[in-house]
Amino acid sequence: MIKPVSSSPPGTPIIEVRGLGKKFVVKRTVFGRPLAQVGAVDDVTFSLMPGETLAVVGESGCGKSTLGRMLIRLIKPSAGEVFIDGHNVTNVSHAVMREQRRHVQLIFQDPYASLNPRMTIAQTIAEPLMLHNIVPAGQRAKRVAELLEMVGLRPEQANRYPHEFSGGQRQRVVIARALASEPKAIICDEAVSALDVSIQAQVLNLLKDLQKRLGLAFVFISHDLGVVKHIADRVAVMYLGKVVEIGTAEMTFSTPRHPYTRALLSAIPVAAPPSQHRSRAARLHGDLPSPIAPPQGCRLHTRCPHARPECQTVSMALDIEPNGHANACAFWRELPAQDADHVREPRNPKLEKLFAAFEAMAARPALTVSES
Amino acid sequence: MSTSQDILSNPSARSVRADDAVTPVLEVTDLRVAFEGDARTVTAVDGVSFTVRKGRTLAIVGESGSGKSVTSLAVMRLLPEHSARISGKVNFDGRQLLDETKSAMRSLRGNRLAMIFQEPMTSLNPSYTVGEQINEVILRHRPISKKEATERAIAMLRLVRIPSPETRYHQYPHNLSGGMRQRVMIAMALACDPELLIADEPTTALDVTIQAQVLELMRELQQKTGTAIVLITHDLGVVAEACDDVIVMYAGQVVEQCSVEQLFTFPEHPYTIGLLGSLPRLDEKRESLVAITGAVPDMANPPKGCRFQARCPFRIDKCAEMPDLMEVSPGHFSRCWRAPMEDLVP
Repeated sequence: MIKPVSSSPPGTPIIEVRGLGKKFVVKRTVFGRPLAQVGAVDDVTFSLMPGETLAVVGESGCGKSTLGRMLIRLIKPSAGEVFIDGHNVTNVSHAVMREQRRHVQLIFQDPYASLNPRMTIAQTIAEPLMLHNIVPAGQRAKRVAELLEMVGLRPEQANRYPHEFSGGQRQRVVIARALASEPKAIICDEAVSALDVSIQAQVLNLLKDLQKRLGLAFVFISHDLGVVKHIADRVAVMYLGKVVEIGTAEMTFSTPRHPYTRALLSAIPVAAPPSQHRSRAARLHGDLPSPIAPPQGCRLHTRCPHARPECQTVSMALDIEPNGHANACAFWRELPAQDADHVREPRNPKLEKLFAAFEAMAARPALTVSES
Repeated sequence: MSTSQDILSNPSARSVRADDAVTPVLEVTDLRVAFEGDARTVTAVDGVSFTVRKGRTLAIVGESGSGKSVTSLAVMRLLPEHSARISGKVNFDGRQLLDETKSAMRSLRGNRLAMIFQEPMTSLNPSYTVGEQINEVILRHRPISKKEATERAIAMLRLVRIPSPETRYHQYPHNLSGGMRQRVMIAMALACDPELLIADEPTTALDVTIQAQVLELMRELQQKTGTAIVLITHDLGVVAEACDDVIVMYAGQVVEQCSVEQLFTFPEHPYTIGLLGSLPRLDEKRESLVAITGAVPDMANPPKGCRFQARCPFRIDKCAEMPDLMEVSPGHFSRCWRAPMEDLVP
């Protein structure tokens, strides 16, 4: 059984980033001088404490995946610093970085592409055990069996190949592999987005359960605010490379400050009877501007329903309230009060009882049906 | 929006008359699709029936492998004929689509029947400008000059709210964003005023803010043209937001059929209950989600009786027998022996 690892003094964040930025060159002169650059991530600062889940949300192209990859230096930042467990890893050698990656693992969206089809899942899961020399060779098989059980697969399945598993089961294998190195944090990059809803719920429940048992911290990168709300303690909302709002999940969802966060929340289609639908006033218009030439001033002003002329010159510095809730809208205090419609979603009490009955009956042990 | 009024000037497609609401545009009866392989036959769609009325949107909702896309491809006769065995009836405006010749189908598709797919990049030809591609549809089905077709194509682009349509007309798909490409697909699909539009996961590849725009656009255009829409999706949120009626599919069968209001007020099939319960919600923080255990059955060898029984918490002995789609309350059908579910609530 894996136990929470703690080598550093309490209160040290597992991951901390300061002023992190990444520019990709998209065009060069014949002599290799950069002609055009995309600012994928710009001046991002946050820290992740042990056992905490920080969600990074935003739409395609906002820089959330680049950010996730920079955290374990799969992409080298062009500005700022990354600390893993108190150590500055921004410029360390590859060998040292590989050692550090033991503590921070990454799970990707597509469980079909992230497993080697020619390796059995036992070989896949044993690889980190070998690489980091975690358990002696003789005990690896036993450890693999433990890991499989931990993610809800049967140890007998260890000698099968990835193609024999469904998408949800493969994602469980990927999680087992990530757990093998006994990490303190796991970065989940759209880890449940490719799964069907019913399977997605199974994997989300598994992640939460593992967090509770092992004291893991998660950076949960997602575009799905419903999923984020379910799993996150804190939420960072990104738009065109900038963090526009960061705060606890509670604050961000009940009193969203930034117009972009409000627009995201109001754009989510809600599975409720049409007679209970919400107003659509907060929605954005137009398309995402080109990240090569992001709008001056506030980057949202070209699509913001509350834009005013000053927005073209204001800075996007975070305004931090005393309770820690920060957002980058210069005029958020003057915005019309957010109607809390989107959080209400009233549900028929009879329906709640029906869900409860479904859950209670499903929990009966006689009916636990295995996935295969 | 005077241009958009003019452009949709086909009088037959105009105002929604009172009796239109009861005339079905599409009537599918007992549709079955089986794919024959070397060793096994997979019945992907097993006895599906539904109707779509003028000016209404029917959602077909289900998870991967439920047969929702195969249903729509069978209706459009787009399945490979050598491997797919199709039976049943597809009645479109008095014509039996399954009996039509290939050339008759070609003149129907893109004209009176249109379809849009999930991935707008793969459905557009990268080597032609978007204008040429819309023109091609119009010229194929309408006896008008190239100049008139161009005018109509530009008007269609304006209708789907593409900024500066005259410039965009001459651009290639790679010049457009994902949301704009999907709007081009909608413009192309609606270019000939179809009576029926089948949209297969039209917003799945788009970001939520763009998805909201595209869904709203489809709704608005429908109100203007009275086009009947079949919207195929896995997203119950999209069903609630954009549709009037719904069928829920599981393992090739319809398990629940009702109005959208009924489905979200009180679902009558355990699968739907599980699906709704497994959606993470914005207004509450639950420790765990209602997960449906297990996975979908193997369609080459489906279980006897109810296909959901292995995953169903409400299972009883009778479930070894296949239930019919039964009317639980007016207009609300469920394929479950335990319905009405009201009896299960304490």
